[in-house]
Amino acid sequence: MSDSTTTTTKTQPLIFQPKPERAAPPSTVGVIGWMRQNLFSNVSNTLLTIVGAYIVYVFLAWVLNWAVFNAVWQAENRRECLDLVGRSGACWPGVIQWFDNLIYGLYPKDQIWRINLGFLALILWVAPLWFPKVQSKVAIGITAVMLYPFLASYFFLGGDKGVLWMALISAGLTGLIWVWLTVFTELFHGKSFTRMMGEILGASGKSEEEQLKFGRLSLIGVFAIAVVLVSQWELSFVSTRQWGGLFLTLVISGIGITFSLPSGILLALGRRSTMPLIRLMCTGFIELFRSVPLITILFMFNTMLPLFLPVGVEVNQLVRAIVAVCLFAAAYMAEVIRGGLQAIPKGQYEAAAAMGLGYWQATTLIIMPQALKIMIPTIVGNFIGLFKDTTLVSIIGLFDLLNMARSVGEDTRWLGLFIEPFFFITLIYFFFCFLMSQYSINLERKLEAGARR
Amino acid sequence: MSTDTIEKSVASAKQSGRSVIELVGMSKWYGNFQVLKDIDLTVYEGERIVVCGPSGSGKSTMIRCINQLEVHQEGDVIINGKAYGKDEKQNDLIRRDIGMVFQSFNLFPHLSVLENCTMAQIWVKETPKAEAEAVAMHFLERVRIPEQALKYPLQLSGGQQQRVAIARALCMNPKIMLFDEPTSALDPEMINEVLEAMIELAQSGMTMIVVTHEMNFARKVADRVIFMDQGEIVEQAPPHAFFDNPRYDRTQLFLSQILHH
Repeated sequence: MSDSTTTTTKTQPLIFQPKPERAAPPSTVGVIGWMRQNLFSNVSNTLLTIVGAYIVYVFLAWVLNWAVFNAVWQAENRRECLDLVGRSGACWPGVIQWFDNLIYGLYPKDQIWRINLGFLALILWVAPLWFPKVQSKVAIGITAVMLYPFLASYFFLGGDKGVLWMALISAGLTGLIWVWLTVFTELFHGKSFTRMMGEILGASGKSEEEQLKFGRLSLIGVFAIAVVLVSQWELSFVSTRQWGGLFLTLVISGIGITFSLPSGILLALGRRSTMPLIRLMCTGFIELFRSVPLITILFMFNTMLPLFLPVGVEVNQLVRAIVAVCLFAAAYMAEVIRGGLQAIPKGQYEAAAAMGLGYWQATTLIIMPQALKIMIPTIVGNFIGLFKDTTLVSIIGLFDLLNMARSVGEDTRWLGLFIEPFFFITLIYFFFCFLMSQYSINLERKLEAGARR
Repeated sequence: MSTDTIEKSVASAKQSGRSVIELVGMSKWYGNFQVLKDIDLTVYEGERIVVCGPSGSGKSTMIRCINQLEVHQEGDVIINGKAYGKDEKQNDLIRRDIGMVFQSFNLFPHLSVLENCTMAQIWVKETPKAEAEAVAMHFLERVRIPEQALKYPLQLSGGQQQRVAIARALCMNPKIMLFDEPTSALDPEMINEVLEAMIELAQSGMTMIVVTHEMNFARKVADRVIFMDQGEIVEQAPPHAFFDNPRYDRTQLFLSQILHH
């Protein structure tokens, strides 16, 4: 039968039937499969797994015994701790008593709510960036960078408000109110606050642009409300000398991180510019600040800069430190961004040019998004490095988190208590750095979605 | 003398006879090396030109000079009667009439297919987004991949990517299309889908300059085939004359190399 068909229909092609897919062998999938492949694949790996697990156990047991089970939680001074458990357990009361100082520095205790409120405002400001339904994310991000600092610095510093200062603070408050109004209108009506107000205020027959004009007018109303609110606030002045602890660390590194990215982008573009003067200036700046240790720059700005300033002009020590950190971070960030730019194929520039996009359009729409995406791990690595590098400001006498922790052991009651506060701030540093690195991984994964084959 | 007769025949074939591209004594150097030597070429409206030649002959450089991705150093490049000059703004306006498709597609990988097609419309021509999307979908339909509009370039096959690149260029409503070896980076089974899109475009009357070694495409579509070597235009003729009766030994050698292998 089959013989006859093959002979009679010689010209008919054979029909190719792909084999159906079969399930993977059970020992290679699932938790068991994973363990078999990765932990117990052969005798030596099994041995290594057991030894490794033992080492982890011993280490964890030792740390937990010291930090939790043998630790002292209530004592008046270090002597009491030592009498109770000697050195086999941690002496936490010192850290607990110094807790406020570790977090807020020497900020007046009754004013600490202002710092909390300031950071709460920041969280409120940027939280909508994670709401999937919110569309005006770019505007929210930009207002956070441009306007939040005014609001925060008034919360943190307080003191008299001049007219200009008052306007800036009100602008900050306007920004925050606008963000949340927009969040609400976009969540419930799918339109930004300004557009919505435009539709309500502008007669329905008018063009979209005229409506937007009305919408923008409504922002003036919000601003007026903000001015009234701000004029009611009376916050006492707190000198930056009293700032310290985690608060100071976050202020310095926060400003440094926020500043370093845009300025690094501009410097990197400048270094690749075809205009010789700009290229020379950017390259000079980058090379100068990269070839000098941060400590040196901090010293320079702290001790030498005042010598060059005219008599009577005094720049706050904290500001000097922040400027130094910012310039240093910008130079490093510039090289990271340049690395990203280097990785973009020439064809992308050519395609953008052939489509008629100008330099800035091609840069902001085509080149930078790709370059930044490639460099996310390195950029966040730099942020983490910068966050930890801010500990160097303790050298010029600022009481950041690290310096605060050191002063615990210099308190007469807790003399010599160094390990516990350092252990505590290690956890804090780990928390923030881990947060940043997790965020970077999360971001990479989200952006990866488009590029996956 | 003989070039004149060819150009005349082409000009008569193209009823309008209006020249859209004129290269006049165009030369270009990379350092001390002269890549283009006194190129003279006139392209008429609606004309389809295929440029071929060995690698390094300057054919890519020549068409890249036409939209000034490469800047020539001597001579003139005149598009629709306007020559490129020092004024960059003016150059951008001249360039706007020219679309280009690259060997390596050069789609923007961080944007979806649709966004690839609307980006320049929105930012260069300031077309409203909805309108730009409608234009994009129209051309994606013309290259037969409207269903891929929301995917990202790297999720598509090479042939699909190149068709998107063609649609993307067409979205800017160019008068002239340049193709720089559009099928050279493709797997053999995908070459035809791209060539079909190009043939369709040719039939719609678009002025096209195509650098390619697809000689069947040249036979089928070209009004004129140009052979380049060592930075010069050696020979140009309508396809049947070019393939059946090449006049120069260099052309004969080249054709024998690419046609019999």
